[in-house]
Amino acid sequence: MLFWILAATMPIYAGALYMSYQATAQRLEDDAERDADELAARLAAGMDAVIRPIEGGIRTVASQLEEIDPPREQYPARIRGILAAWPDVYGSTIAVEVARESASAQPYAPYYFRRAGAIEYSDLASASYAYRTLPWYRRAADTRRPIWSLPYFDSGGGDAWMVTYSVPFFRRLADRERVIAGVVTADLALDWVKRAAADVPLGSGSMGWLVSPPAASFFLTPIGPTARRLPSFDPSLDANEIRVIGEQMLARGETFRLLPEGLAAQPAYLAARSLETLDWRVLLIIPQSELLAAARALLRRQLWLGAAGLVLLIAAISFVAAAISRPVHALAEAVGTAAEDQLEFALPDLPRRDEVGVLTAALRRMRDSLRKHIELRAANLVAQARLDHELQIAASIQQAMLPKAGSRSLPAGVRIAATLLPAKQVGGDAYDYFAVDDAHLLFAIADVSDKGIPAALFMARLAGLLGALATSGKSPDRILHEINARLVEDNDACMFITIGCGLLNVGSGHIRYASAGHEPPLLRTADGVVAPLTVENGAAIGIDGSSEYSVTDMVLAPGDTLLLFTDGVTEAWTPDGAQFGIDRLTTLLSEATDGSPDVLLRHVVDTVAASARATDDLTVLALSWSPRGVTWHRTEQAMHWLMEPAISTVGVAQAQQWLRSTLAARAVAADRVSDAELIAEELLTNVVRSLEARGGAARMSLDCELTRTQIVMTVRDDGPPFDPLALAAPNLAAGIDDRAIGGLGVAIVRQLADSCHYSRVQGHNVMEVRLHRTPV
Amino acid sequence: MPLEILAEPANPSTLALVGRLDSSTAPELDAVLDRVLKNAPLPRLVFDLSRLEYLSSAGIRCFIRARKAIEPGGGRVAIVNPQPAVRKVLDIVKAIPAGGIFKNVAELDAYLDDIQKQMRERD
Repeated sequence: MLFWILAATMPIYAGALYMSYQATAQRLEDDAERDADELAARLAAGMDAVIRPIEGGIRTVASQLEEIDPPREQYPARIRGILAAWPDVYGSTIAVEVARESASAQPYAPYYFRRAGAIEYSDLASASYAYRTLPWYRRAADTRRPIWSLPYFDSGGGDAWMVTYSVPFFRRLADRERVIAGVVTADLALDWVKRAAADVPLGSGSMGWLVSPPAASFFLTPIGPTARRLPSFDPSLDANEIRVIGEQMLARGETFRLLPEGLAAQPAYLAARSLETLDWRVLLIIPQSELLAAARALLRRQLWLGAAGLVLLIAAISFVAAAISRPVHALAEAVGTAAEDQLEFALPDLPRRDEVGVLTAALRRMRDSLRKHIELRAANLVAQARLDHELQIAASIQQAMLPKAGSRSLPAGVRIAATLLPAKQVGGDAYDYFAVDDAHLLFAIADVSDKGIPAALFMARLAGLLGALATSGKSPDRILHEINARLVEDNDACMFITIGCGLLNVGSGHIRYASAGHEPPLLRTADGVVAPLTVENGAAIGIDGSSEYSVTDMVLAPGDTLLLFTDGVTEAWTPDGAQFGIDRLTTLLSEATDGSPDVLLRHVVDTVAASARATDDLTVLALSWSPRGVTWHRTEQAMHWLMEPAISTVGVAQAQQWLRSTLAARAVAADRVSDAELIAEELLTNVVRSLEARGGAARMSLDCELTRTQIVMTVRDDGPPFDPLALAAPNLAAGIDDRAIGGLGVAIVRQLADSCHYSRVQGHNVMEVRLHRTPV
Repeated sequence: MPLEILAEPANPSTLALVGRLDSSTAPELDAVLDRVLKNAPLPRLVFDLSRLEYLSSAGIRCFIRARKAIEPGGGRVAIVNPQPAVRKVLDIVKAIPAGGIFKNVAELDAYLDDIQKQMRERD
């Protein structure tokens, strides 16, 4: 958190600091420049202040001379007065004009000047000096104004370099014309100017010169400590160049500028000012570093202050942030120690009123309520575990109600396979089968209307009733009727059951089937044709106590399989969102290569489990009639049943029964069944008689071949060669006394069959009889 | 369905055959016939076949045996009301003359009355 707060605030602070620095730096720079400019002006004013009183004094003398017009004899006294009044004045004269050549108009210019502390006199009016031609006189007289001279070397008395302030004075004539009467002067020695300049204080680091106006000879005198500072600034600096630039600046009216690059060793400013009195200039060089030193120092201080502020800010932010984040962090750590289902974490005791305090209180409430919730859940889990355990026991009890494969003795000639996969631990489906006696098997499949415990309990009642009624010998419709009557009583839960119940005669393959609202079974014939049984359905069990049920009769051929199932099969959901459905189940059964119940059952259950999601109990019961002594196979054209009965009249009767059931199961008309049976009986009986007579090991068989149009019966035996067809036909017209009892059977066979054919093949008698499925 | 042989005590010479008469059940009828034929000479023996479903040559042999036992003594064997499948077998082997097969008991009675009348007239 601290990081983010700083990351957000620091750029703002730094930005503000930078902008403030920029503004300050600019202002300081401007201030420094103005200061430098002003320094030059002040220097100039200082010089002026020294010189201006002298100017004023000389002009006063000049005006007195004009007004009073004293006699020449008083001139020396006045000149000496000037020298006395202004000690800075080196020398002074009053030089008179000679207007006309007359006696009274003799040149006159007494000059008093200082030398070695005394006032000395010199007459400038000597013919050799000719003062009236000299610039200090001439310019004032011609311009009629006070004027400063350029520096010059005076040879009139002082023999020194000087500058002279010349003030003209006039005489008023009668015609009121003011004519020039002379010039009063005050000389300033250049040495004095130099000293005066050297005495002027300069700002630290600056260098300056006092410069005379441009002329053939000019003076350039350093101000203050310039000479001392110059070597460290730039020993090779050419003051004359500076002077030229200064003159140019002044000519343009500039007073301050940066020195052109290359002129000096380091960047510097040049300030220039003209004196108001002497017409000299003050030139000032201020190194940039010097000028900005103060500004830089100020900025440095500001930066330091800024940095200190930053540190303080970070410290303050850290402190405040820590005040919030530390307790929050402590809270997070405390909560983090909480493991799943383990909320024994200690919360810091923070009697705070801020958000952290509120958060802590909220966490405490949450922890306490979660703890309660977990305790409750743990208790629920214990209860749930107990319930689960009980459900497991219930499931095993329920499974125990179902017959296990091989656990019940079945009559010979029936094969049965069944399974129940509950959707929950206990389910509402059931199946069962019972050997009623040696010849009968009762089987049932049921589906209670709901799932789970209520369904399981209801199913348990059903199982009890079914077990009690199954072996009573009652027909399926009666059994359903009685179960219904019992379950309707006290059925306050309004549950109901669909049941399919059948009774198989294992000798004949006959099934009596009754259904209480259950989905009709599918019949898969030995040759792989699958179709639902046409069943007359009654009301589901448990709804109406007066419900009646009817029986549907059907016959299985050996090898036919009946498949009973609950809607858990057909209503299982396939991944494509459709139900598994009766069509898919039909296809599945017809494509199976082996029709035996256990194979079919496994095939159905595996396919449904693999391709669909069961949402309900899934129960399948498959049963087939497979009498011992009968085998079957399929050829391209026909279905064959090979019957190998015992060689006895009982065996013959049994073969008749097999044949009768097989043909009935394939919907051969009753009289045709009868014909076929008669033929079989006659042929087999003949074989039995002949083999009984012979004795010893022997075999006989009846192959029943069923094509689309024909019934082909082939009787084989391994007895001695015997062709019944070769016997003479019995004399059916003979009187009763003359009639032979034998031979009738063959007569019947000949009469009923479409064709009869005997052959002897590999030690066997082979009798083949054909007849059409429908009489021609 | 096996064979049932029903005889009214009041009329022991009429046997009603119910079910199947074939090689496996014919011995049962043979046994009954042994008992009945002991009372020879019988004027007549009637087989009521209205409920006989199946007949094979083994059964026909029983009828022929009965004829051989009774007819030499002047008795008659009559068949009443055979079902089509059974009638077909009877017709094939002609085990009973056409005159010995009657549609029902009334036809038989009328025939028998007629015989008695003829016999009386002959006497």
